[in-house]
Amino acid sequence: MKLKLFFTILISKLIIKACRLFKTGGTTLAGKAALKIFPGIIKTVSQNFSTIMVTGTNGKTTTARIIGRLLKENGIDYITNKSGANLLSGIAAAFMDAVGLSGGCKAKTALLEVDEAAFRIAAEHIEPDVLVVTNFFRDQLDRYGELYSTLKGVLAGIRKTDKTRLVLNADDSLCVSLSKDSGKETVFYGIGSGAFSSWDKAINSDAMFCLYCKSKYEYANVVYGHLGGFRCPGCGYSRPFAQVLCTSVKEFSGSHSMIEFHVNAPPEDACGAANGVPVKLFRVRENFVGKYDAKVNLPGFYNIYNSLAAAACGIMMELPPESIAKALGNFECGFGRMEAISAKGKTLKVALVKNPTGFNQVIELLTAESKTAQIAFAINDKLADGTDVSWLWDVDFERLLAIQDRVGCFYASGVRAEDMAVRLKYAGVIPDKIAVVKDYRKLIETGLSSTDEGGVFYILPTYTALLDIRRILRKQFSLKDFWK
Amino acid sequence: MYNLNICHLYPDVLNLYGDRGNIIALSKRAEWRGIAVKIDNVTLGDSFTPENFDIVFLGGGQDYEQEIIQDDLITNKGSSIKDAIENWKVFLCICGGYQILGKYYRTGDGKDIEFLGALDLWTIGGYKRMIGNIVIECDFLKNRHSDGMVVGFENHSGRTYLGPGVKPMGSVVKGYGNNGEDSCEGAVYKNVYCSYMHGSLLPKNPSLADHLIELALKRKYKDFESLKPLDDSLEELARKSAISRFIRKY
Repeated sequence: MKLKLFFTILISKLIIKACRLFKTGGTTLAGKAALKIFPGIIKTVSQNFSTIMVTGTNGKTTTARIIGRLLKENGIDYITNKSGANLLSGIAAAFMDAVGLSGGCKAKTALLEVDEAAFRIAAEHIEPDVLVVTNFFRDQLDRYGELYSTLKGVLAGIRKTDKTRLVLNADDSLCVSLSKDSGKETVFYGIGSGAFSSWDKAINSDAMFCLYCKSKYEYANVVYGHLGGFRCPGCGYSRPFAQVLCTSVKEFSGSHSMIEFHVNAPPEDACGAANGVPVKLFRVRENFVGKYDAKVNLPGFYNIYNSLAAAACGIMMELPPESIAKALGNFECGFGRMEAISAKGKTLKVALVKNPTGFNQVIELLTAESKTAQIAFAINDKLADGTDVSWLWDVDFERLLAIQDRVGCFYASGVRAEDMAVRLKYAGVIPDKIAVVKDYRKLIETGLSSTDEGGVFYILPTYTALLDIRRILRKQFSLKDFWK
Repeated sequence: MYNLNICHLYPDVLNLYGDRGNIIALSKRAEWRGIAVKIDNVTLGDSFTPENFDIVFLGGGQDYEQEIIQDDLITNKGSSIKDAIENWKVFLCICGGYQILGKYYRTGDGKDIEFLGALDLWTIGGYKRMIGNIVIECDFLKNRHSDGMVVGFENHSGRTYLGPGVKPMGSVVKGYGNNGEDSCEGAVYKNVYCSYMHGSLLPKNPSLADHLIELALKRKYKDFESLKPLDDSLEELARKSAISRFIRKY
């Protein structure tokens, strides 16, 4: 057994070394090999770790990174699967990379981002102490199937666990059901109805009808998509009490937000997610209760949610709220998440887009841009992107018309560049402002040279396009390798 | 000046995967020709008055949403829909919207769910999902401007079979189509066009979009002859590049 473990770790490490030598970064290959040789490898090496998992449709990577920053603030050493390698193989690879040849490791905490469709299987290999679920949105129907099957899969995974406690988005009716239906102890986080004045109108919502009785939800407020103060008039299922609640968004800009959040102790009789079945609310430490101000060093409501998720995770781990506020302010953008790269007096901003809700949030940020900008969309249809590009029609590109005058050119790139160009045309963009540029090098060159001094060139790629574009940018602007 | 009134059935419930792209395509392509377009959303609980509309669109949903509209569609709107279809109203129905016009849906455990029965077709539930890019050849679209090839994406587990009363919309060149067996895709009955190709069906296949608009306007206006051609270079680029990725000899 020991020998097999040693052998597996050795092989995996050699593969990781080789991949890095050839700059492919492909850590998942090592994970695949490890699982092949030793199927129980994750269970064996993770025994001495306490594990935090982050899953959900949008915001996994950013949330995991903010939690990472928070652990660092508190001097907690941790291992993680950083590069978005969030399937079982990626998790295996993270452990293979971190542990010594005997399987030991100085760090005792594992922070893992897990694909929502892979969570059920992952939970069989490694039971998380804390599971953070960010949200559920429709995503890559061809790969994940229907939204409700993804939700069921995560629930099935949670039900198999023993000690797992949950950190859930109180504003997402789909997320909240995980607590109600599993009975697990939960910290909820959310954005209060009085936190911001101009709320979204719920259009094209992914979850309009009650999960339990199929009545149409009523909303006290909608943050975006189906997130907000939901309440079912039929059975009473509603937004639960949130221990971590954003009470005010004081400043909201294209680079950051200033927020106020409350850490609340649940009242004795709190059972928000009603319908007769109370949810089990985690008891917050008395001395943590209070009001805190924080700068969220990333733009957009979706990043306020990501920050609150990380904060709620910290509260569950009993980390001081002051350190949470500090981590939110110090956090730097991750790989391709509105990552800003300066290029000869101009700025290049790269933001991953992968589903309508996420894309709409990024567009929302673009419309706040007051200076002239160039915008590129790089749409691929490989397996990791989703092979069906129909989702582009659910994105509100029509909103870009508000800034059309300030946009020099809309570039359509990637394997499905032509589909993207057609979408822009039907959104009402003047055809003269639409350019199909499939080659990424040429795209970066043309986009940057058309950008004014001090201006921004936005690139919005799908996942595999991001990997390719990031690789080119890394060489041109000597960025950090993405596995670091 | 011509007017085109489009009815979007259950847009808030059946809004799966870019179905609204079809509405956008119909309205933009009409507007670009100076035709005034009005879009009406008709959803749960609303009454459906076909006389007010020239084109009716019914999209697809997830099983969960599909169940929510089923009863409303059949009991509340069913007879108006059937009458409109018999009276040659133009319909475009996708995925679930296509299936529900048929006679029944047979579930995996052999139970028959009664559907609207407006069209002579039926669907058998399956476990294998038919997912992927699809290219079909439509004879009715072939003319000197169009080769009749239509490209899209399908994602369904139900297998649909056509009775003698309806014709397929096209023959499958690549992909599964109605059932993966008989090389048929979609259904045409009078002016009802049904397909499993969701999302960006019409924007990327402008000849099909124009065909539906023309049918609707010819029905409505005695003096209407045909649509002015548009500059479709981007749409054609998208259509052709997609087709050539999926079939080699194109």
